[in-house]
Amino acid sequence: MTSSQPPQHAVDPEVTTPPGPPAAAGAAPKPTERPHPLTPFVRGWLVFVAIAIGWGREIVTSAGENQFEPRGLAWLLPILGVVVLLAAVTGFISWYFTRFVIDDEELRIETGAIFKKSTKIPFERLQSIDIIQPLAARMFGLAELRLDAGNSTTKLRYLTRSRASRFRDYLLARAHGHQASIHDLDQQSVASVFTDLDVTDQPLVQVSPQRLIISFLLSTEWLIPAAMSIIILVATSAFGVVPFALGALIPLVIGMLSLIWRRVIGMFNFTLAESSRGLRITRGLTNLTSQSVPINRIQGVKTSQPLLWRPMGWYRVDIDILGYAHGDGENNESTSTSVLLPVASPEEVELALGRVLPGFDLDGVELHTSPNRARWLRWFDFWTLRYGWDDRILITEQGWITHVRDVVPHAKTQSVRIEQGPLQRALGLADVHVHTPQGPVNAVAHQLDEHAARDLALTQLDRARAARTAEREHRKVRVAPNDDHEGEAELLAAFGIRRDQLLGSGGESEVFALDHDRVLRLYRSRHGAPRQTAFQLRALYETWRGTDIGIELPVIIDMGERNGRFYTVDRRFSGRSFSSWLQSAETTQRRPALISFFDATEQLQRLPCPVPGFARLIADGAPQQFSSLGELLASMLQGPLETSRTQLERDVPGVDEVWNRLHRDLAERSVAPALVHGDVCPPNAYLGQRQQGVVVTGIGDFSPHTISADPLMDVAGALIFLELEPYADAPADAAWLEAMAVERHGREIVRWIDVYRRYYGFYFSNAYAFDPTLYAWCLRQLSR
Amino acid sequence: MEELFAPPAYEWKRLSPKFRSMRILTSLIVPPLIFTIAAIIVGVASGKWWISGVIWAIAAVIVIVRLGFVTRSWRSWGYVEREDDLYITHGVMFRNLIAVPYGRMQLVEVESGPLERAFGLASVTLKTASPETGARIPGLTPEEATRLRDRLTELGEAHASGL
Repeated sequence: MTSSQPPQHAVDPEVTTPPGPPAAAGAAPKPTERPHPLTPFVRGWLVFVAIAIGWGREIVTSAGENQFEPRGLAWLLPILGVVVLLAAVTGFISWYFTRFVIDDEELRIETGAIFKKSTKIPFERLQSIDIIQPLAARMFGLAELRLDAGNSTTKLRYLTRSRASRFRDYLLARAHGHQASIHDLDQQSVASVFTDLDVTDQPLVQVSPQRLIISFLLSTEWLIPAAMSIIILVATSAFGVVPFALGALIPLVIGMLSLIWRRVIGMFNFTLAESSRGLRITRGLTNLTSQSVPINRIQGVKTSQPLLWRPMGWYRVDIDILGYAHGDGENNESTSTSVLLPVASPEEVELALGRVLPGFDLDGVELHTSPNRARWLRWFDFWTLRYGWDDRILITEQGWITHVRDVVPHAKTQSVRIEQGPLQRALGLADVHVHTPQGPVNAVAHQLDEHAARDLALTQLDRARAARTAEREHRKVRVAPNDDHEGEAELLAAFGIRRDQLLGSGGESEVFALDHDRVLRLYRSRHGAPRQTAFQLRALYETWRGTDIGIELPVIIDMGERNGRFYTVDRRFSGRSFSSWLQSAETTQRRPALISFFDATEQLQRLPCPVPGFARLIADGAPQQFSSLGELLASMLQGPLETSRTQLERDVPGVDEVWNRLHRDLAERSVAPALVHGDVCPPNAYLGQRQQGVVVTGIGDFSPHTISADPLMDVAGALIFLELEPYADAPADAAWLEAMAVERHGREIVRWIDVYRRYYGFYFSNAYAFDPTLYAWCLRQLSR
Repeated sequence: MEELFAPPAYEWKRLSPKFRSMRILTSLIVPPLIFTIAAIIVGVASGKWWISGVIWAIAAVIVIVRLGFVTRSWRSWGYVEREDDLYITHGVMFRNLIAVPYGRMQLVEVESGPLERAFGLASVTLKTASPETGARIPGLTPEEATRLRDRLTELGEAHASGL
């Protein structure tokens, strides 16, 4: 429902369109739109109120013989009417003055009738996007989009459900730095109405209604009020004074109802799924909520087990998410967003913890008990008190009726407190509190020996500091584009270009447009040996000169060093990035383009290699020859595995067997060596318009991954890396491409694709430190 | 016992003696005032003035106990700026020691209420992302409070690490 009216007020000067290619579009005010016209009805809970009136009237008329005075309630009706009218008017006004823009350039929401407010959220600031459907909205097929950007939460309500989820996918793609386009997103598969899961989302844990209800009935927090109500009822009815018990019963019952609401209705159909954009939780019977779990904002994890869950071995997992604790009573979301799993088996807990705390070894932490004299103060659960730490996390355990384990990564420690009361002083005991941001996690090591307490508290600060420093180092690697600008401005100025001419960036370099034919590739300052890499690449490209394989290949025109930065000037590829095109293309266009991508990949093996035999081409001492494929690939895996070995031993059961099997398989492969790009994926491919349609016309970004080995590696890579592309149908496309590969090369190719899946799973496994999505993909390859 | 709460290799900085004077004054004024009001109401309402006498006696005991604790409480406070973190300790019966890394500080507040101003005092509060941190140093001279604030902000920026 795009409005033809111009915006109600002048556009914020900062918000003017950046100088894009179509100059005409930049001048005209951008059309903004209003949320769905049914919004005021839903928003004012008009539906709810209308039902309440009808229902209330029935009570009034039928309650005549009771002590209710019908006339006393009747005069309430006009008041109720006024309230409803007011709600309708304010709802309408607020809807009328709410306008929003979500397009390729910006995300902006304007609200306010008298005091205008324009909120523009930079895409990269978006932390998580939740879709919430209260019952009334759900009846109309509407949904609220909740945008969480750091400290502030912005709500956009209401949109149709399909638009909301489309916007979510688009905004999440932009938040992750992908160059997606809002147009043509209509082709996406529509998620299920009940779970809001796309076909591509892989459910990790699903909680069945039976288990949810049984676990709820057995939980301590339900049993205690239930038992109290029964005791009160029995006791008062024995003396025939039930009415006197109402004062105590009513709050109890209200509390129990709210518990049912939060724990059963709110958690119904609970699903923890892995989507292409990280973890996603969907839940709710009446209000359907779909939220993403921002892993980098998790501050701590709490696992709890009520006494009666012990026979079943069930656990509940809560997480502290930064910023999620802020008050938001409306949908009672504040208490429940922190639930990672309402009830789960130990295997499911382990699976989920492996995703939210990637790289942490919870079972390997040695736990210490509190001294025996703690029984004088904690006679009810002194034997359950535990604490322990390793170099990355701190764990505390306590409780018998409900056993609770709190886990805090050192890097998230805010402050530390030692406490000691008079009785503790007499016994030489003390408590240590490790503070985390607001949330369910509350790590306290109870009743330690005071020397141990002091030791724990003071060393905890050192560990926290060390962990923060380490994390900062990681982050520097991750957000390097913003970090290592040293000497860059001067260098860019020397070439007469600006930073906004950035075309793309990778782990090793950033690429800027110079003109129509050339790009400037600026190697990152932390890159170990940019000169060596560039020289070896240029030599490699030289050997290809004169070989036409029908696709564009990179050419280094010039290279040099300036202001302490190493750069090369490369020939610019014609066409656009295949990856960003894929996200907006329709299936009918996509499939032919994917075939051309596959064809181009197969052509790569025709490129001449500078040395015969199996060899590394871009590395220290390259070209380095190997006597067999197995030896070459073992050498390739050595580097990544050095950092990720312990990680994989934790996350992949029987990883040794996977490793041995890979090497047995590789030993059986007999193949003539040919050039292997090593990382043929859509972000490295370029697309152009040819007679036969839109096809892949170039492949770039040769790198240290490039070797002389089994040409099937690129064929396998082309289809398995496709699964990592952030568009909905990517896994389906990858499966389709695999079927085509089988058609071309025969059944036996399936086995080798599988072998190379495991190879790449190992090869990219060092991504655990900086790219959880890629690491999760690696784990999937290794667990196949 | 003391060593549990001692900072490693540093001397505690103590609060201004005016803080003790202020606490003595409040101990002398606040409980008698509250209890006197209660005693008068009870006396007027019931006419049994001996109950009021008991209330006054309780007030007197409270004042004596509090005065007994004022000096110890004042002495129990201490803070020290270490290289990477700030330590604060206080408490006579329930003692505690809190350590806040500079890199975690989000906000440093200096406050001074009317009573504190009358005594020439101010307090400094440190906020982190955790609501449990609750690191507050009362009873500083305004010069020390502003010095501490500037120093902490400066250190906070130097150590800032995000979340």
